[in-house]
Amino acid sequence: MSVTETPTAYSGARKGEDKSFEGVWDTPTGLRKLSSVSHRVVGRRFIYTGFVFFLIAGVLALMVRTQLIVPGNTFLDLETYNQVFTMHGTLMMFLFAIPILEGFAVYLIPLMLGARDLIFPRLGQFGYYCYLFGGIIVLSSFLFDAAPDGGWFMYVPLSTKAHTPGLSADFWLIGITFAEIASVTAAVELITAILCARAPGMSLTKMPVFAWYILITAFMIAIGFPPLIIGSILLEAERLLALPFFDPMLGGDPLLWQHLFWLFGHPEVYIIFLPAAGMVATMLPTFVGKPLFGYGFAVAAVVTMGFISFGLWAHHMFATGLPILSLSLFSAASSMVAVPTAIQIFCFIATLASGRPRLTVPMLFILGFLSIFVIGGLTGVMLASVPFNWQAHDSYFVVAHLHYVLIGGMVFPLIGAFYYWAPHFTGRMMSERLGRWVFGLMFVGFNATFLLMHLTGLRGMPRRVATYAEGLGWDRLNMLSSIGSYILAAGIALFVFDFFRSRRHGPKAPRNPWGAGTLEWLYPPVAPGFNFHAIPPVESREPLWDQPELLEREAHEVDGVMHGIRDGRRETLGCDPVSGAPLYVLRLPHPTWIPMLAAAGLAILFGATLASAYWVCAVGGVIALAAFTLWAWEPSDSGVTRDAGMGHELPVNVVDKRAHMHVALVGTMLVLMALFASLIFGLLYLWNIRPDAAETVTRPGLVAAAVAVVAGIAVAVFGQFTRRTAVSDRNLGAMALSLLTAAAAVASAGALGLSLMPVDPWASALGATLWATGGFTGIVLFVLLYWALFNAARRLTRRTGPGQSMPDFNLATFAKGSGLMVVVAGAFFIAGAMGGVG
Amino acid sequence: MSDLTRQIVAIARPGLTWAVHFVAIYALISASCAARAMIGHPTLVIAGGAVTVVAVAACLWSVFAPPAGGSTDLRRAAVWGGLVFALACVANASALFLFQGCGG
Ligand code: HEM
Repeated sequence: MSVTETPTAYSGARKGEDKSFEGVWDTPTGLRKLSSVSHRVVGRRFIYTGFVFFLIAGVLALMVRTQLIVPGNTFLDLETYNQVFTMHGTLMMFLFAIPILEGFAVYLIPLMLGARDLIFPRLGQFGYYCYLFGGIIVLSSFLFDAAPDGGWFMYVPLSTKAHTPGLSADFWLIGITFAEIASVTAAVELITAILCARAPGMSLTKMPVFAWYILITAFMIAIGFPPLIIGSILLEAERLLALPFFDPMLGGDPLLWQHLFWLFGHPEVYIIFLPAAGMVATMLPTFVGKPLFGYGFAVAAVVTMGFISFGLWAHHMFATGLPILSLSLFSAASSMVAVPTAIQIFCFIATLASGRPRLTVPMLFILGFLSIFVIGGLTGVMLASVPFNWQAHDSYFVVAHLHYVLIGGMVFPLIGAFYYWAPHFTGRMMSERLGRWVFGLMFVGFNATFLLMHLTGLRGMPRRVATYAEGLGWDRLNMLSSIGSYILAAGIALFVFDFFRSRRHGPKAPRNPWGAGTLEWLYPPVAPGFNFHAIPPVESREPLWDQPELLEREAHEVDGVMHGIRDGRRETLGCDPVSGAPLYVLRLPHPTWIPMLAAAGLAILFGATLASAYWVCAVGGVIALAAFTLWAWEPSDSGVTRDAGMGHELPVNVVDKRAHMHVALVGTMLVLMALFASLIFGLLYLWNIRPDAAETVTRPGLVAAAVAVVAGIAVAVFGQFTRRTAVSDRNLGAMALSLLTAAAAVASAGALGLSLMPVDPWASALGATLWATGGFTGIVLFVLLYWALFNAARRLTRRTGPGQSMPDFNLATFAKGSGLMVVVAGAFFIAGAMGGVG
Repeated sequence: MSDLTRQIVAIARPGLTWAVHFVAIYALISASCAARAMIGHPTLVIAGGAVTVVAVAACLWSVFAPPAGGSTDLRRAAVWGGLVFALACVANASALFLFQGCGG
């Protein structure tokens, strides 16, 4: 099905015209491998790095357990103990659980959906380096004897400058915020990949269920992470610049931090659980030999969990004195989330019952997951009840519950997933015999450690204590828990051994070794640099079961669209987000260092903030900006059509609302809106709970705020006109309108700034939050300004040919979002100016 | 709009409805129970009741009138999602009717 017509010339970047298909997709070797953008390479990096963090955090957990093995122990002093449990929680939650699961998604999603790569490979590389550098910043705190010690949720006032004067909290805030950029970029990347690059015929209903789980998780990350990013920036600003966001003396509130933290923190638990459950939903049918029972139920469960998990955040704050009515609202939502969770578990149990499961190692881990997670869920329902929660608050009962959910719900499926997908990483099978030992040790060790902790907690032992007195009834239980943790650790050590052993000595994995139904097993598992020579049309959710022709031939002979390559470029198929119908040929970037450079620039910026070397920060910022500019400056590929085979004549990189660039932009706007909404929440919260302090804030300027609103509307209108003019290929008009959009952005930012002039951000928390809202909107406007000027410059230098209006098309959407933010911020300022802030 | 798109909307609608309802109830409770005490308990109950009736109706729309055609699996997802969200909206508002004031 290769293409024979002579293609029209195009202005896109020349990359590898003289190369074969394999040559174009080849992974660079040696040091240049670091410039690889392939999802296989980046996904594996996320997975391996995440696992290293898991091992480090695991060693820290063992130190905790060793300290607690006997009463009055002096293995760790009090300060070190605080650092150790804080870093354990922090590494596990931020640097292990989410990144490793995202790594699996980055690796598996294109393979399962019939794509040759993720849609934004450079973003993947950029995200990975942000994660790596962020993780290094957090870990390096040990070197400076400044490891964070305020607990993984860094509550204020403990984490403010007054109570934590050193750099430890800064390491946490800066490193974690940086690493979170990685999670957010991966989320946008995954949303776009799932919606825009699937095999022909793979409608949303024919999508493997794993993709549903990841899609919902990615949306949750896009909305759930911003509150913590904003919270961390506000706290860092309080520590660095003495802005009083959380200072009760100046109208701030420590509980605002708790709200922002848990607005992220609770959904995070589901963000960790859902991809792991998606792995279970993928592996289980393979071993039962039947499709997942109740695909529709599972989709309903994932969607409901995704939403409801955002309504639970304050159940972590039951003991803070919130009004009973609020507690009841959160208690109700917390209980309700058990319903979709149970629906999902029933889907798994019904699938199990529908066939005769093969008891392989991954299957054992699935059974382990089911039993442990259900117990964690049940203790969760207990904790959702306010009176019980008050009793068990901050006790070892909570530690037991959270580990049942996290280890049962995530670590067990993860280890099962390693055994299942190991052939993809090593080309070999891991040992079934050793695997059973791994499972046995982990299952026994886990329950010995944590089942008993429920009792320890009910007997009154608080969490986060470095030692305890003899004779309180906790001695034996702690001793057994610690022994259990060593058994658990032995299981994990054996797993690591088995993984490395299998790389050399494991039996070679055949094609589709488990007899699975999903597309990632189409090729023999030893990874080539590419995914599909031709992308086969898909007729069912388990194509390898229902389309026998796929496995009858050698993988590279399978029929499909886009056989071969065109123009020497990496390409995959772009599809309609709902129906999966082929829509366009999607050009992908080749290996490059630029994303790494951008991440390094940001790392310098963040790292130098820690050292208060602000001119170095500026250098880092400039490096990052230059790298982003180079990244975006590349010639556009759209404007030509190509024969994709099987009767599909498709445009390249279509300019349309359904195009991947536009879908990604909508995802990005979602993130920006969530960041903005977090600030608005802060404003309303402080205004509502501290009317006395709000009275004291000077009013913002009315006229300037009104001008900002008008300018904000102009931003949106000019942006939209730019799109229209550009789409009809009127070069000069588009350039002029881009410049007008830029001018409106400058006017909006100027007017917002002027309106805020009378407000002293150091005098009150509300004033500081008003400034933060204005500042955030200003940054968004700066991006808009830069983008509009950038588009105009490209037009001026004739880098934009006919039909290449995607950057202007997207600018319009961004301008509308930015305009909306300006209007909302302006409206708040007007309200403050007219009614008085108080 | 294709059958499939209508089904996706029918799946998303109850979720978005629940989210708006949750925010509304939270905002009403905050307006009534925080220091500013902007509204009284009767207003809270009446407004909360009204948004709940609307929200439950919007969720049940997907249950009683799921889009015809398309995939049976997605229809099932819309129906069950709608049902769970309707229940969750009732749960959100339940405390307003069970308690006599902010303190329980
Ligand atoms: C591998 C075996 C593990 C062991 C033996 C273990 C042990 C512990 C212990 C004993 C504590 C309580 C420390 C204290 O309150 O003084 C703790 C806290 C915690 N663990 Fe683990 N843990 C393990 C794995 C995990 C995993 C996989 C996660 C998350 C994915 C996790 C997340 C946390 C968190 C968030 C805390 C709370 C930290 C804080 O209070 O700031 N743990 N762990």
